[in-house]
Amino acid sequence: MPCWYYDKKELRNTPSSLDNIDYETEMRYRKEGARFIMDTAFKMDLGCNTKATGAVYFHRFYMFHSFRQFPRYVTACCCLFLAGKVEETPKKCRDIINTARGLLSDAKFSTFGEDPKEEVMTLERILLQTIKFDLQVEHPYRYLLRYAKCLVGDESKLEKMVQMAWTFVNDSLCTTLSLQWEPEIIAVALLYLAGKLSQFEVVDWVGRTNKHLRWWDMFVEDVTLDLLEDICHQVLDLYSQPVAEAPPDSPPLSPKLLLAAPSSSKTNGQEKEKVETPKIKPPATTVAPTLPEIPSYPYPPAFSTTSHAGTYLPQYANPTVAPPHIAAPPPGPPPPHMPAPPAVLYPPYVGPPPHYPPVVPPAPFYQPTPAAPPHRPFYPPPN
Amino acid sequence: MSKEGSTTYEDLNIIGTGAYGTVYKARNRTNNTFVALKKIRVSLTEDGIPMNTLREIGLLKQLDSHEHPNIVRLLDICHGQRSESELVMFLVFEHVDQDLASFIDKWANSRTKLSNDKIRNISREILGGVDFLHSQRIVHRDLKPQNILVTQNCHIKLADFGLAKTYDFEMRLTTVVVTLWYRSPEVLLGQSYATPVDIWSVGCIMAELFMLKPLFCGTSEGDQLSKIFQILGKPHENEWPATNVFINYNSFEVKNKIEIKTLMPNICDNAFDLIMRMLTFNPYKRICALEALNHEYFMEEPLEL
Repeated sequence: MPCWYYDKKELRNTPSSLDNIDYETEMRYRKEGARFIMDTAFKMDLGCNTKATGAVYFHRFYMFHSFRQFPRYVTACCCLFLAGKVEETPKKCRDIINTARGLLSDAKFSTFGEDPKEEVMTLERILLQTIKFDLQVEHPYRYLLRYAKCLVGDESKLEKMVQMAWTFVNDSLCTTLSLQWEPEIIAVALLYLAGKLSQFEVVDWVGRTNKHLRWWDMFVEDVTLDLLEDICHQVLDLYSQPVAEAPPDSPPLSPKLLLAAPSSSKTNGQEKEKVETPKIKPPATTVAPTLPEIPSYPYPPAFSTTSHAGTYLPQYANPTVAPPHIAAPPPGPPPPHMPAPPAVLYPPYVGPPPHYPPVVPPAPFYQPTPAAPPHRPFYPPPN
Repeated sequence: MSKEGSTTYEDLNIIGTGAYGTVYKARNRTNNTFVALKKIRVSLTEDGIPMNTLREIGLLKQLDSHEHPNIVRLLDICHGQRSESELVMFLVFEHVDQDLASFIDKWANSRTKLSNDKIRNISREILGGVDFLHSQRIVHRDLKPQNILVTQNCHIKLADFGLAKTYDFEMRLTTVVVTLWYRSPEVLLGQSYATPVDIWSVGCIMAELFMLKPLFCGTSEGDQLSKIFQILGKPHENEWPATNVFINYNSFEVKNKIEIKTLMPNICDNAFDLIMRMLTFNPYKRICALEALNHEYFMEEPLEL
């Protein structure tokens, strides 16, 4: 069984970085590819699991290949195409490509070459081999709902918090978090973050025992606050990145592939792009010793256009009414919209956690001792 | 990771040809170990590899991550040639020298009976594997001695599961006769079926371990049912399925009834009771794998060989 979890050093030592693509640029490509998968999935009415599976395939693929060799939007289409089949929500390759054409600029779409469908179909085999046929991927969504059902508190606040956490999980697909941590841990971290931002303090939960210091101790073992905050920061960093005005669409192809490229139009497309490629300046994304500009929640317009909070949450159609099943877990079997929880309560730790402390220690945005109020909260509470 | 099966794996000989395709013994050139290569042909549609095949392969991979001791390991998957309409894929499994069919043959030829402890251990491990598959919502559908592997230390590993829908495509291409001997009545009668079909097969296989020859050797669906009723007796008419039956209840007349105990003269009571619970006509009343594992037969001492 291959291990799909990487530490931060490995994430900086990818095929793309060996191919002279700097880290910030690679992270931008990953973000754009994943965001494109989500936008395409959204346009095609695909559910959260399909888009999340596609995004995970995408991130895994680029742990073995360079963005220079495989244009990201073609890969993204292929990942979504494959995820559709695996999640039993299949879409025709042609329809995905047509949707992609509508979302992408001509320059970006030109990376699909003369026969876009053939381009994607050929990539399917490479993708399958690269991800080693590990097609079944678990996502934080189901854990999020499962954990939320155990929390006790004001129902409307809880409801708001789960909505927010759900959005964070959506957005986390744009980061490499799925390559770092199991879905259970990401779910805990983003529920924790949503709790902070929506001022919902979890003081009681169903199934609490003396052994449980924090609510998540019930679900995951050995998860420290440092770890949770690092995960939260990786998601929050998405929102503090400036929207780059005119970043180059794609990295220039490596000479090797230019020679091997079978389709002439592909080369043309790449050349066209090459012309408009200036030297990439990494977007300024520093987790600051000074307070970064964290937008008040909800997000700034640049972000909210692509964030589909709530749309992906079919069971919370009306956000002001707390659904009854959140209040307390039903005594019987889980409701039909939720998969039965796995038998193992404590997931085995797959990825070894020892790669701490983080590269840039994040400023604490949370005061562990409640008896210190004069501090300005790191993140302004939502209005 | 191999791009082409042909470069990493060197074919040695054919181990078996089933309805689903061919299994080769092969050598992994990179580490000089033996593997079993299962070649499957996948029909390509306009939209690439079919959803069913992807689902099933994904499932196999996920199943393998549990590393269940009674399930054969899936080591690798690689592509072979691809044409317009077909893709050849190789599933690379760990290689086990012996299957239960040859194991039984060996004992039958030696004219000595298998010891009760051996039978108990083999049965328990088969059920362990079946219980695991069922807990993962997989019905094997074709359990038989040929796809139950026996390692050198006499441990059991189940093979050939989980590709039912992929195999269907292959089966239409081949004329290989599929054995009926381990088929449950509901399958023979064309009823819908589920996990109990595997339990029926295990019941037949357990009886075979005591007898060292197959329990019901039918030559057609109808004949198979006759053989079952000849030994187990005809079920009550109430138990006969009401709808979509291929074969009429009254078309059977049981002649020359054979008393099952005479076939297994030295069987202990617990083992006999368990086999009869597995060979229950009504699938809803048939014992399930987990219950079978908790049957008194497996509580007898000694548990180990």
